[in-house]
Amino acid sequence: MTPSAPAPHVDVATPERVALSLPVAGIGYRCLAWLVDASLLFFFWVALYFVITLLVSDVLGAFQALSGLTQTLLAVGLFATQWLYWTLAEVFFHGQTPGKRVMRIRVVREDGSPVGFYESAVRNLCRAVDFLPVLYATGCITMLLDSRHRRLGDLLAGTVLVREEAIDLDKYTQGPPDEAASGTAPAPGSAVQRPLDAEDVELVLAFLARAPGLEPEVRQRLGARLVDRVGASLTDEERARVLQSPDATEAFLRTRAKAAH
Amino acid sequence: MAVPLPTFVTRRRPDWDALQALLTRQRTGRLGLTELRTLDTLYRRAAADLAQAQTFYPGTDAHRFLNQLCGQAYGAIYQPPRERWASTRDFFRRDFPATLRREARFVGVSAGLLVLGLLLGALVVTLEPRGAELLVPEGVRRYVAQGRMWTDDLLSVAPPNAVASGIATNNLTVTLFAFASGILLGVGPIFTLVNNGVLIGAVGALCFREGMTAGFLDFIAAHGPVELSIIVIAGGAGLMVGQALIDPGELPRAQALQARGREAVKLVVGCAPFLAGIGMVEGFISPGHLFPTWAKVGLGLSLGALFWLYLLRAGRTDAGVARVGEPDAIASSRLR
Repeated sequence: MTPSAPAPHVDVATPERVALSLPVAGIGYRCLAWLVDASLLFFFWVALYFVITLLVSDVLGAFQALSGLTQTLLAVGLFATQWLYWTLAEVFFHGQTPGKRVMRIRVVREDGSPVGFYESAVRNLCRAVDFLPVLYATGCITMLLDSRHRRLGDLLAGTVLVREEAIDLDKYTQGPPDEAASGTAPAPGSAVQRPLDAEDVELVLAFLARAPGLEPEVRQRLGARLVDRVGASLTDEERARVLQSPDATEAFLRTRAKAAH
Repeated sequence: MAVPLPTFVTRRRPDWDALQALLTRQRTGRLGLTELRTLDTLYRRAAADLAQAQTFYPGTDAHRFLNQLCGQAYGAIYQPPRERWASTRDFFRRDFPATLRREARFVGVSAGLLVLGLLLGALVVTLEPRGAELLVPEGVRRYVAQGRMWTDDLLSVAPPNAVASGIATNNLTVTLFAFASGILLGVGPIFTLVNNGVLIGAVGALCFREGMTAGFLDFIAAHGPVELSIIVIAGGAGLMVGQALIDPGELPRAQALQARGREAVKLVVGCAPFLAGIGMVEGFISPGHLFPTWAKVGLGLSLGALFWLYLLRAGRTDAGVARVGEPDAIASSRLR
């Protein structure tokens, strides 16, 4: 896998003297997470309304009959959920509102540590400005302009949203699926082969993970190209033997990728 | 020479899986002491593995996996101190009033802007009666023309609590916006303060011209002092943010913004409970004739005095001892 164009990230210097670089969540992830959160809040109130209508037949009448204090608290509470929801969720669920959890993104400080109450309060109070004039237009423009996709609230609070990827390590440790069947093909000339570098290993393993889903002739062609790439020291006869069936090809590639020097 | 990547992953993977399992458990609950020690050891190993991956296997999935794993463990291990109830109490007893006194300049400027708006609104309506058409909302004007307070009617149609909730949310919005719009180079708070000042001044002057000063005073007296104070404080917090943007001092702009934003939000968070309280007063006591005017004026003035007494005196005794180092450090860091 060749190094691609550098994605936006946060560099963190740890006391262990290893630099972490956390991938930053882009505008798409953030909008989707907001949509999830917003609909969650919306459906919460809709559901609450229906529950109340089920329990009380005359909602407006009951609302007016409520004591003044309860009613005021209710109205202020409704307002507060819109604002407190974000901060409370971020503080208690390690920087993730439910929407962010679904999208696997997380609010952290710029040094990679979890957000505290003040940072979270700042970035969520600033929703008032980021929302202007409609639907987070200001926030979106700022995110597009900023190299790390931060909106105004993030700039003020010193926070970023980082993304968590689902990375599968099984491809490294997985043995051949049917060792007994294909194990008959020995790795020819493996004794004199140089060990592969990490980039080739990654390439071979990516191919092996996808090979079962490829069309037969594509599978054959790609396999052959990889064999030529990693098995430069094969003799013609050995090469022909390796290439005679996809199974043999892939068994050779697998042994090659795993070969200890 | 490095071992091949698959061998490396196979050999080290049990540790990584164990670390991941510990992190998942750390998020959902608590860890025992031995588990914490294991977490520490595993994190250091993973960090060492990450260093190896950075050198020998850059750009591979294994590298990215380790990077993410270490990022999560780093977040779990190097946590900031938790803000708990004890620190909440400490915040209101000491930190909030102390912050306000430290940033008194900004609150002063903010108050000046509001007063400027008040005078401007009052002056325009007094000198040019038709200015009221521009500055005072139409609904209010109609009531005043009929010689009634708009709040009387609100009260007879809707129960007082509806007024209270409407007013409370409106004040919350003004307060939030006065702070948050500070990031627009401080223009936002200035606009909010002057705008609200002009509105109140214009309505006041209109009532005065129509001979309804008593009614206006009757409505505004009980909650006015504290409420305007809170809006002024929030505006001051917004101005702090704007000032950090315009004149960051010796820090880079982004850092100055973050440092000042953290201080400024304390003022807003501190005001929130008082705002809720005064919303109640505004909804229940201010409208109607349940309480005589002198009682409302007395209540308003004493609430305002108590509020400012708290802000100016609370936590003063031990503040000098506890915060000797910090304010100096902050002051020198934004030396100008």
